Amino acid sequence: MDAFAALLTGFQVALTPLNLAVAFAGVALGTAIGALPGIGPINAVALLLPLCFALKLPPETALILLAGLYYGSGYGGRISSILLNIPGDPGLVMTTLDGYPLAKSGRGAAALAISGIGSFVGGTSAVILMTFLAVPLTRLALSFGPADYVALMVLSFALLGTMSEGKAVKTWIAVALGLLLAMVGIDGGTGVERFTFGSLELLGGIDFTSLTIGLFAVAEILFLAEGMISGVVSRTGSGARLTFREIIYCIPAMLRATGLGFFLGVLPGTGASVASAMAYTAEKRISDKGTFGKGDMRGLAAPETADNAAQTGSMVPMLALGIPGSGTTAVMLGAFMMYSITPGPLLFTQRPEVAWGLIASMYIGNLMLLVLNLPLVGLFARLLLVPAWILYPGILALSYAGVYAVSNSAFELIITTGIGVLAYILRKVGIPLIPLMLAFVLARLLEDNFRRALSLSDGGYEILFSTPTSIVLWLLAIVAIGLPLIRKPKLHPAVIGEAG
Amino acid sequence: MVDRLVGLICALLGAGAIWHAQTLHVPFAADPVGPRVFPTITGGVLILGGCILMLRPGPVAMEFGTWPRALAVLVASLIYPLLLLPIGFIAATAMLCFVAALAFHARPLPAAVSAVGTAIVFFVLLDKMLDLPLPRGPLGI
Repeated sequence: MDAFAALLTGFQVALTPLNLAVAFAGVALGTAIGALPGIGPINAVALLLPLCFALKLPPETALILLAGLYYGSGYGGRISSILLNIPGDPGLVMTTLDGYPLAKSGRGAAALAISGIGSFVGGTSAVILMTFLAVPLTRLALSFGPADYVALMVLSFALLGTMSEGKAVKTWIAVALGLLLAMVGIDGGTGVERFTFGSLELLGGIDFTSLTIGLFAVAEILFLAEGMISGVVSRTGSGARLTFREIIYCIPAMLRATGLGFFLGVLPGTGASVASAMAYTAEKRISDKGTFGKGDMRGLAAPETADNAAQTGSMVPMLALGIPGSGTTAVMLGAFMMYSITPGPLLFTQRPEVAWGLIASMYIGNLMLLVLNLPLVGLFARLLLVPAWILYPGILALSYAGVYAVSNSAFELIITTGIGVLAYILRKVGIPLIPLMLAFVLARLLEDNFRRALSLSDGGYEILFSTPTSIVLWLLAIVAIGLPLIRKPKLHPAVIGEAG
Repeated sequence: MVDRLVGLICALLGAGAIWHAQTLHVPFAADPVGPRVFPTITGGVLILGGCILMLRPGPVAMEFGTWPRALAVLVASLIYPLLLLPIGFIAATAMLCFVAALAFHARPLPAAVSAVGTAIVFFVLLDKMLDLPLPRGPLGI
């Protein structure tokens, strides 16, 4: 199908009143949640995930909502970075470097405006790229056999290990833990119970919503309760407003950051945090004349643009290959699976209304976000004044209410809290949660493809390395595993290895 | 030190997973691989990772803030599911939020007011407006 025609059918889906309303709710809530310090895109999506199912929204509507939350939070996150000097998630560390100095010098409003425009340029250009790249990528994916998929998933895990700031071995431990957690329950192939320890409640496996809420809401609140994030809110300021000339001045930086951000977003394992760090570093190298870090507009526009371009870019492999490129898209992949939809090459032909409806909604959502974030940014900034003791208990209550609404079981709440405690301990000892999440979501797909490949070869392992594609992917994976042994990736020290 | 302990626990977990996988009995052979191989490989990765961590531990900055506050939130979260059905969503959630608000440095009176407010707002929003049934408790509101 021609991309334009397909996109038009997508707009027919995205422009229905329900989907428009949901897209608006998603981006507005995403901006609001993203604006809260300590709460990033993955927390936003996790928090609203159970409600989507409990409300029995149709799949395309639920995904439009979740995607809106995702890229909407990319717009909101900059607010606390600029006004408070507190990045909401690792992807926003770079935004503080030039954003906070601008706010301190009284140009907070201009800083918010240019970063909003940057987010829009990055987000929208990435959606356009996605519109034309998604289908060619699915053609490539259609030629993939089970062995190729196994190799591709191993490569994704390997890249996560390479890009993480901590020890790569901890990423592998996290992946293994995620796979084991996913195996709890009845094995789909044979009906054998695995890791249930005779418990009836565990027969159905660990619920995806409980896992996400435990990992990214309960654990987060425990962390926040322990050490209060505090900061003084800068006023948006009375300094000179953003001029048209300044926007023009930033455009080359934005375009460079879009390309870099989108490319890094599409790569599995690298997400927004890496993209914004690299965009800032690259822009500093190209155009710094001693002004970066002291409030240079380009130093703010580049990471914000790359951040949003990467967020959208990371949805491309999730939709086209069924392999998510980041933690948040892994949560969204899990959401697809709960609707019994398998993302991947067939999604675009079998469920075009879901795939193209989602893509079309992202054009609309980014426009809504531009309107929400330029004139109304002050409203969202007010959220920073809501006391923590109202905000975070409320988030905790909403998390549990969501899990209860989707499961109707108080036992599920205990499991959720248990996973929250596990996640808290893992974070304390430096085991990253994103690879665990990614592995949990991909486990079923990985095992199915692994078993399918081996049943084709009647148990011979050589089939895993039998096609040219799989050999290339395995070699890349070996390079990715070996690389950290030779040389540590050089990133800004503040960027923790969590691909947002 | 922390890394050595984490490594040991991971290696033991991996060994446990492999042992568990071997006890699985498949009544009929649906495919040549069966349900055992995948957990065995995963357990192997865990043992390998755990051993590497034990042999070459790195420094782990275990920073604890005021952890009793996190513990208070945790205890409230564990009691919450036990109270949810007997006393209903509003009362249980208000208690959860009250403890959590105190943990986030609120003074008792504002904490109580915001906790009750939060519970009622969510009940109205979820149960009344979005039609997701929440436990009503003895009052049956």
